Amino acid sequence: MSAAKNTRDHHPLVPWAFLAPAAAVLGIFFLGAVLQVIYFSLTRYTAFTGPDYIGLENYRRLFASQRFWLCVGNSALYLTVTPAIIALSLGAAMVVDSLGRQGKWLRLLLFLPVITPTIVAGVSWRLILNEDSGLLNNFITSLGGHPIPWLSQHPWTLLSAMFVTLWKGFGFYMMVFLAGLLAVPKELIEAASLDGASRLSVFRHVTLPALMPSVVLVFIVSSISALKVFDELFVLARGTPVTQQTAVPLLYRIAFEEGDYGLACALGLTIFVFILAFSIVNLRLSSHSEKEAA
Amino acid sequence: MIERRPFWLKALIAVAATVLALVSIGPAVWLIASSLQPPGTDLHSIAGKPTLANFASAWNDGGLGRPLINSVIVTALRATLNVLFAAAAAYPLARMKFAARNTVFVLLLCTLMVPEQVVLVPMFRIVVGLGLYDTLAAVILPFSVTAFGIFLCRQAFMQVPPSLEEAARIDGAGPLRIWWHVMLPLTAPTLATLALFSVIGAWSELLWPLIVLNSKSSLTLPVAVNTLLGVFAANARAAYAGAVLALIPIILIFLGLQRFMKPEMFGGAVKG
Repeated sequence: MSAAKNTRDHHPLVPWAFLAPAAAVLGIFFLGAVLQVIYFSLTRYTAFTGPDYIGLENYRRLFASQRFWLCVGNSALYLTVTPAIIALSLGAAMVVDSLGRQGKWLRLLLFLPVITPTIVAGVSWRLILNEDSGLLNNFITSLGGHPIPWLSQHPWTLLSAMFVTLWKGFGFYMMVFLAGLLAVPKELIEAASLDGASRLSVFRHVTLPALMPSVVLVFIVSSISALKVFDELFVLARGTPVTQQTAVPLLYRIAFEEGDYGLACALGLTIFVFILAFSIVNLRLSSHSEKEAA
Repeated sequence: MIERRPFWLKALIAVAATVLALVSIGPAVWLIASSLQPPGTDLHSIAGKPTLANFASAWNDGGLGRPLINSVIVTALRATLNVLFAAAAAYPLARMKFAARNTVFVLLLCTLMVPEQVVLVPMFRIVVGLGLYDTLAAVILPFSVTAFGIFLCRQAFMQVPPSLEEAARIDGAGPLRIWWHVMLPLTAPTLATLALFSVIGAWSELLWPLIVLNSKSSLTLPVAVNTLLGVFAANARAAYAGAVLALIPIILIFLGLQRFMKPEMFGGAVKG
């Protein structure tokens, strides 16, 4: 490329030689795709014709379609899985942490859902959530309840997929909290309990504030992955109309079943703007509340 | 710190640990038990005599042999390339001054921020344009390096004392040898973690292979298991057997490499 400013230790092309494979892969498949998605979203482009420039027509069609707003609504509903993820993964981290050295084994077990491929998790949970005689509905009816249509009726299908997201995800976020717990100053906890603080107030006033950066990270990462969920719905909400699913399944439908690439790119960029805006607002809010706490 | 926990707290921790463990492994255990039941019996009972009949039918009629090999190839290559390419790109970013360094950083952050779902269509068109559609390369190449991996390696490289590099340089080692003989061995645990992350991601991946793979001979295991769900509507247990087949290898790999999956590896992102 250009002459390096600093050639003390190496030939100017050396850094580029190291960067070349990654630059080629990310440049071709990713940065190229980022530029194209913007252009394609402004074109009439299908599996058979195009791309022909049509301005903002795809966005107009997208925002005028009812299914877009239904899927956006479902995505918003799906986002409510994140508080559950935070609570469960934080709780699991506290349990693992309190077991000391033996906690290692529990940590290992709780990570198994994370490595389970979603298709496998989906098949297992479909078996358990089976409406006629699955374990869960059998349990519910044995308590005198009515069987629940986990796999066929909105919003139960959404809830089942959210549950699998929670099940598959909490072990991962637990690790983030465990890393955060490692950073909590042990002397502080000791000092507080010597001063006669109860366990609850030690947690409330020492541990939790020290974990806040982890909470923010888990919140942002898990909400981004909730906004781009596909696999869980593909397996759990199989056979339900796309209007009962979320944004990425709609994108998949539009692009690869209807072959409307232009519209799918407009939807893709819209999803990106949602994700970006959501993350920025969250970061702002969390840095605000941290300042107030300090 | 010697701390005496009251009984109620010990009991609470024990109950919570048991429930969490059961919920985590229960579904897999139930799936495995169900896959071992004789075909054609009540799907929600595991009272029958265990048999491998469903595995035989998933393997023979479902043709899972080829997808299993494909998944092994894809996973092995993706993990290897991810480590090599990320570690290579991370070295100049951690240790060298060069023009356009900041531009490279900004572009990397961009790729980190844009989820693949957003650029699914153009990525698909690029893969088709390169003639990679329905080949394993379509699943391997686009994800053979990630910005995440590059940042992970860069962080590890920055922990290596510069004096070690300096010593190698005085001994006459060039950048490539320093990278290979000094940087890589000293950051091996991080590289192993990155490899494990890549293995888990590649082995489980569903959406992308679903889009770029089509013919029976090129499918990866998750996609093949997905088609089994439709094909074997009559004998769902064959699909369960297929799912078990997709689960066992990744569990074995994870158990073998679990010492590289420590909480510390998840902390870097928090500290920034």
